[in-house]
Amino acid sequence: MNRLLRDPLALIGLALVLAAILAAIFAPVLTSADPYDNDLASAMQPPGPDHMLGADDQGRDMIVRLLYGLRLTLLMGAAAVGIGGGIGTTLGLVAAFYRRLDTLIMRIMDVLLSFPAILFGLAIAAIFGPGTTAVILALSVATIPLAARIVRATATVEMQRDYIEAARAVGMGDNRLILRHLLPNCLSALFVWATLRFGQVILLGSALSFIGLGAQPPTAELGAMAAQGRTFLFFAPHIAVVPSIAIFLVVLAFNVLGDALRDALDPRLRV
Amino acid sequence: MLCHAVHRLLLAIPVLLGVLTVGFMLMQVVPTDPATVRAGPMATADVVAAIRRDLGLDRPLLVQFGLYLARLLQGDLGVSIINNIPVATELGNTIGPTLELMLASLIWSIPLGLALGTIGAYWRGKLIDRAVMAVSVAGVSLPVFFLGLILIWFVGFRWGLLPFTGRSGPLWTLDGLIGITLPALTLGGVFIGPVARMTRTAVLDVLGAEHVRTARAKGLREITVVLRHALRNALIPVVTLIGLQIGFLLGGAVVTETIFSWPGVGRLAVGAITSNDFPMAQGTILVLAGGFIVINLVVDLLYAVLDPRVRA
Repeated sequence: MNRLLRDPLALIGLALVLAAILAAIFAPVLTSADPYDNDLASAMQPPGPDHMLGADDQGRDMIVRLLYGLRLTLLMGAAAVGIGGGIGTTLGLVAAFYRRLDTLIMRIMDVLLSFPAILFGLAIAAIFGPGTTAVILALSVATIPLAARIVRATATVEMQRDYIEAARAVGMGDNRLILRHLLPNCLSALFVWATLRFGQVILLGSALSFIGLGAQPPTAELGAMAAQGRTFLFFAPHIAVVPSIAIFLVVLAFNVLGDALRDALDPRLRV
Repeated sequence: MLCHAVHRLLLAIPVLLGVLTVGFMLMQVVPTDPATVRAGPMATADVVAAIRRDLGLDRPLLVQFGLYLARLLQGDLGVSIINNIPVATELGNTIGPTLELMLASLIWSIPLGLALGTIGAYWRGKLIDRAVMAVSVAGVSLPVFFLGLILIWFVGFRWGLLPFTGRSGPLWTLDGLIGITLPALTLGGVFIGPVARMTRTAVLDVLGAEHVRTARAKGLREITVVLRHALRNALIPVVTLIGLQIGFLLGGAVVTETIFSWPGVGRLAVGAITSNDFPMAQGTILVLAGGFIVINLVVDLLYAVLDPRVRA
């Protein structure tokens, strides 16, 4: 942990991640304005004294939209990493613990892994219709095999350790052994992975929203906001640029932090 | 080798069946009745019933699945609800431009990524390595659409240098090349980061190996050591990883096609889904998924050809 705190880049990443999360949580506190309140008089106003980051085509303040957009985007990311990560972790633990099921589970994971997230996005949006739910579902499915692989790899190594043998010797049941001993020892690897995955999921989710398969306008979601701004790119570039830069910075922060965490927690990968 | 290939092929069969089942289910859950759609708004109930019988829609689900497979084998993917054009025809027209776009993106981004990664690994820890790492982290964090919009705004609109909507011709003509430049810069741009990163790691691994030390001890020039002995060996994992990243590239292609109105499969799929054109959506998804099964198979086999150790 000390190592992490001495790395200036990691600190900047951490600060940005925390700032984004806090801004998303406290969006209603930080601003009293409604992200859907339009004011056509200030439509497409460039950044200036009235609206620091400008206003969109409906005259809605970009900062307010940005805060609420960040909120929905991070929520989508958290839901996808949480659901996909949870299911994947369970499958990975089961595969590592019950060797008989290992081949079957991991084969299915390989199959899921062979299709790109965008394909799940297309298929699920085709079945359930475009929307936030479709994006969360698609990204969860795409996340399951990744989590399963990480957890299985870590847990398989842990299974060789003496403490597992010891726990078995004292007659501990399977469920308790997995939850109390095996899972906690996989958590640091899982945490690093989840940080990096969060960035990727946000990037994928905003891309799906951008092409119209995710959050629908006028919803304040960063990808959907960028798509909305694309129409007015030549008259008011800030409408598309502001949310795009926000996505870039948030994803960058998660990636930098994730890389630093990996270096700090897993000395083998240190270069 | 042959054994490996057969094994891989056999494994692809259940996956293919799974994809076909999902495609079939896609048509079962959609709210529209294909018979009513085919009959048109003026048709009488008798006509609809006849078409229903024709399409086998009154048969048990399992029989319908068989009929569906038989139709697919004949290349019949159905007809668009929106414009009545056969799905297969539309797909035939759009696959070319998509492959063209992917090729044009890879052709400049892979060499550049390889070069950046090798440079970073060679001068590891130095300023130039940090610069390479910074570029690659920024690259993997950059939304494709952002890069596309920046290029459109500056190169296309502000400076008026290159066109930014649609495809202006085949790749081998000058018009085609000019037209594909911005989309290919966009899609390739987000691919440099991952390639540089993977290359750097792989080259770092190999640079520490004994055969590299031997090559140096022989007094070979550094450039020969790096290119012939280090990069060449590092290429094996990199090729596989690039193969696995094709999915990432396709995701980027769907977005790039949308931004630049490029007439490819991705844009066709997105358009079909947002306009509830179910047969078209099903066809594009089936073809994309099928394409992936083939790509994965090829990457697998290529890996075995490149690295004899895998075959065992």
